Amino acid sequence: LRRCLISMDIHHMEKSFQGIKTAVQAKDSFQNITILSASETLYNITSSDVCCMTKDVLQFYVDKVFRNHEESDPRIQRGLSTIANSFLHIRNALEQCRSQKNCYCRKETTSKFQLIVRNYEQMEVKAAAIKSLGELDILLSWISRNYQPKATT
Amino acid sequence: SAPCFSNGLPKPTNVTFSSVNMKNVLQWNSPESLRGAEVVYTVQYLIYGQKRWLNKSECRNINRTSCDLSYETYDHEEQYYGRVKAIWGKHCSKWAETERFNPWLETQIGPPVVALTPGEKSISVVLTAPQKWKRNAEDTSISMHQIYPNMKYNVSIYNSKTSKKWYKFVINYTLELSLLESETLYCISVQVYVPGPLRKTKPSEKQCITTLKDKTSELKV
Repeated sequence: LRRCLISMDIHHMEKSFQGIKTAVQAKDSFQNITILSASETLYNITSSDVCCMTKDVLQFYVDKVFRNHEESDPRIQRGLSTIANSFLHIRNALEQCRSQKNCYCRKETTSKFQLIVRNYEQMEVKAAAIKSLGELDILLSWISRNYQPKATT
Repeated sequence: SAPCFSNGLPKPTNVTFSSVNMKNVLQWNSPESLRGAEVVYTVQYLIYGQKRWLNKSECRNINRTSCDLSYETYDHEEQYYGRVKAIWGKHCSKWAETERFNPWLETQIGPPVVALTPGEKSISVVLTAPQKWKRNAEDTSISMHQIYPNMKYNVSIYNSKTSKKWYKFVINYTLELSLLESETLYCISVQVYVPGPLRKTKPSEKQCITTLKDKTSELKV
C-alpha cells in the first residue's frame, strides 16, 4: 500500500467492526470453513503485491459480499455500511493507482485471490456472505498491518 | 475416557479466553446447579476454518475451571474456538463454546518494564516492551512491539509534594523528564497504547523515585 499512498481511516473501520463482531460471527454456523483462508492467501503476500490484493479483495467485498447480505439489525447495518463506504473509497483510490501502473497484479497474487472467490462460491450465497462479513476482522487486521510502519527492532 | 450420556446435565457457563500478551487461557464457570458436586471437565479447541475439534489431553477430566491453551493458540494470525463440557459420573453436558477468539485483536497487552534514573531536576525513563508468551523458555523472545509496530506508551507522572499529575505520550523507548524539582518524590506508571480497535492494556506498577539534591544550591550557602 505504501507505493499507492491512499488515505484511509483503518482504525475507524476496525472500531466499527469491533462493535458488531460477536453478533455477525454468531450468525456463521460453519466454524470449520474459511473464505479468506488467511494463512494461504493474505499472509503469504509480498509487500509489492499488497496493493493489488487489497484492490481485488475490496472489490470482491463490494460486488459480492455486501450486495448479497440483507441485514435486519439496524446496529449491525450501520456498522457494515460504514465499512462498505470506506471500502468503496479505498477501492476507487486503488483503481486510480492501478491506472498509473502502481498497483501491478502478479499471477501468483491473482491465483491467491481466486482461491478466496472459489471458497466463497462453494458455499450457499447468503451463508457465504455472512461468513465473509464475519471475517472482516482478519481482513482489516491484514490491511492495518500492511499500512503501518514496520517496527524498529 | 469412558463414554458418558449427554442427557441434560447443565453446561458450564461464561466460557471465554482470558489473554495477556498472547498467553491464552480458556476459563468457565461451573454449572450453577452442580456447585459442590464432584464435577470434572473436558476441553477441546478448534482452529477456525479447520475441520476437526482437537483434544487438549492435559485438560481431560479436570476439576479446575480453566485450561491453558496458549501452546495450541500460539499463531496469533489465526482465530480459534474453545469448548468445554461438564462430566458427573456417567452423565455429561453438551459442549459450551466460546465466541470466535482473535488473539491479535483481543489479547490484553501487559505493562512495559520501566527503569528510572534520577537526576537533580530530571528523571530518565527507559521502557522495555512486554514480550509475547513463549512456548519454551529458551525460545527467542518476541516483543509485543514487533506484533504491534505502532505501539506507543502513556506515561503518568505524579509529584508527591504538589500532588500534581500529568501525562506524556512516548513513541520510542526513552523519555527524559526535565524541569523537575530536586529532592522530590515522583511516582511514575506506564501503560501501552495501540491505535485502532479498543484494546485492553494493563498499567505498570507505580514506581516512585526521589530526585537528587541540587548541587548548585549547596554552593550558594
